[in-house]
This record gives sequence, structure tokens and C-alpha cells, in this order.
Amino acid sequence: MSVIERLKTMATKSPWIYRINAGSCNGCDVEMATCALIPRYDVERLGCQYCGSPRHADIVLISGPLTRRVLDATLRVFDEIPDPKVTVAVGVCPISGGIFRESYAVLAPIDQYFPVDVNVPGCPPRPQAIIEGIAQAVQIWRERL
Amino acid sequence: MNFLRLFARNLREGPYTEAFPFAPAPTAKRFRGKIEFDAETCEGCRLCERVCPAGAIKMERTAEGMTFDCWHDTCVFCGNCEFHCPTKSIHQTADWHLAHRQEDKYRMVEHGLIPFQVCTECGSKGLATAPAAGSANPPLTAEEFQHVKSLCPKCRGKFMRARKTKAKA
Repeated sequence: MSVIERLKTMATKSPWIYRINAGSCNGCDVEMATCALIPRYDVERLGCQYCGSPRHADIVLISGPLTRRVLDATLRVFDEIPDPKVTVAVGVCPISGGIFRESYAVLAPIDQYFPVDVNVPGCPPRPQAIIEGIAQAVQIWRERL
Repeated sequence: MNFLRLFARNLREGPYTEAFPFAPAPTAKRFRGKIEFDAETCEGCRLCERVCPAGAIKMERTAEGMTFDCWHDTCVFCGNCEFHCPTKSIHQTADWHLAHRQEDKYRMVEHGLIPFQVCTECGSKGLATAPAAGSANPPLTAEEFQHVKSLCPKCRGKFMRARKTKAKA
């Protein structure tokens, strides 16, 4: 096994998560925080950890219907995340707009602006559903690395 | 001494963490999850489409009949459709396993079809919906229900009126 391959197997064990709030009502954000902060769900068993800087992230969770006002900031933060990254849309808002669909103030669905890989519908999705989505994202991330 | 009790309990019961991705997660019986539709019992009143706040439900008349589509990716699981449905042909299951890859986004649909049928009395075409006979007095028997279901709207009205006058007499 070459050094690079060994590094790859080591790196795929622990993807770090970054979370972007694109105009969310905070419902999904609370559930995402619950995934990591409450020992009952504990997403850190999958090797995932929330990180404070987009430059450390491997998996990015986006919540919210992408309001017009945050579009620019969200795109800038998203570009900071190094490739290969996996994007997970959490909640129905980023996937389709949910109840904000067809509003003049939101730009949902976000797959017009971001390369989304996994969708986790729900309003908000329960923590286990988010963990399920993250597990799928980890698989995609392993294929990409 | 409370910590000793906690310590003993934790030793006995093991970790509090759910084993979820590696084992099934406990779900409440009344959990409001994925919508399920039963075309057999639907009256075709389209109330669900009207009350859906997210516009997830769409019923349309096509060449084959009336179609029902609910897109889970925009449904907010509020339960309005189930609450307002007169025949309870829509209900929310406790299924929340909805995470999917991007390529399956537009396949997350609950689809149903109420087909057209030929009326057994007059031979005209009508939707094979369940009869809207919730207020019928006395209530329809199973036999009558099947008979009314096989009729077109006009013949249904005729049948129900005849039945009403018979019940009064």
C-alpha cells in the first residue's frame, strides 16, 4: 500500500461536517445540532464532527430555502470548502422550497446554485433521518476521495 | 448518593445512545411521516389538494382517470390532508426513511389513479370513485356500496334520491 492510499483510508474515517443556514427558520438547524450534541443520537459515532471553519469541512449541510439576500454569502462560503465535498440538503426548503415555494424572496430549489448530492426531506427531518442522510453522504464521499 | 444510583443504572442499562444507522430506530406509533394514498376508498373530492399548505398534492384529470400525486420532497407532514379527508383514504404512516440521493429527487412521489369506468345502468363514462355517502341514513350496506360505486354520478344521484324516499315512506 502506497503512502497516498494509506492516507486515504485514514482520511475517510472521519469526514468533518459544516453547516450553512441559507435562510432557514432554525428548525432544521436545531435538529442538526441535536444530532451531535445529544448523546442519544450522537453523529460523532460515524466519525463526523461539526467544524467551525468551512476550510476544514468535507460534508456540508445546507438548510433553508436560500433567500435572495443570503445567496451571495452562501456561494462565497460554499466556495471556501475544499474539494472533494459532499452537499446534503436538509429539510424540504432547500430541496423544493417547501411552503415557501414560488415566493419572490426565495431561490429554492437550491440545486440550481449548488451541486446537491443527498436530500433529506422533512419539516424538520428527525435527527435519525439526518444521520441517515449523513451516512449516505459519507458513502458518496468515500467514492469521491 | 444520587450519583451512585445513576452509576448503578448506567451499568445496568448500558449506553443511552441509539444504535440507529446500524440498528432500527424506535419510532412513535403516531409519528407523522410519509403520506400514503388509497385510490379504492377515495371520493375524488380534491379537498386534500385544497388544504395542502405546501402544494405537495396534485390531482389531475387525465385520459385514464383522475391521478393523485404527492411529492414527499415538498410535503411538510402537517397532516391537514388526513384531517380533512372524509373517507380517510389518505393517511400518514410512521415511515420517515426519506433520505435519498439527488438522482431520485423526482421519484419521491406517492402516486394513485382513480380510473374511469362504464356505468352499469346507463353505460356512460364516470370516475370509479367511492360514493360520497357519509350522511346516508340508514348507512349504505356493503352490497349497496358496491352497486353505487359502479354507477355514474347521475345514476348515483337517482339511486340515492330513490333510497331516501323509500326510507321516509
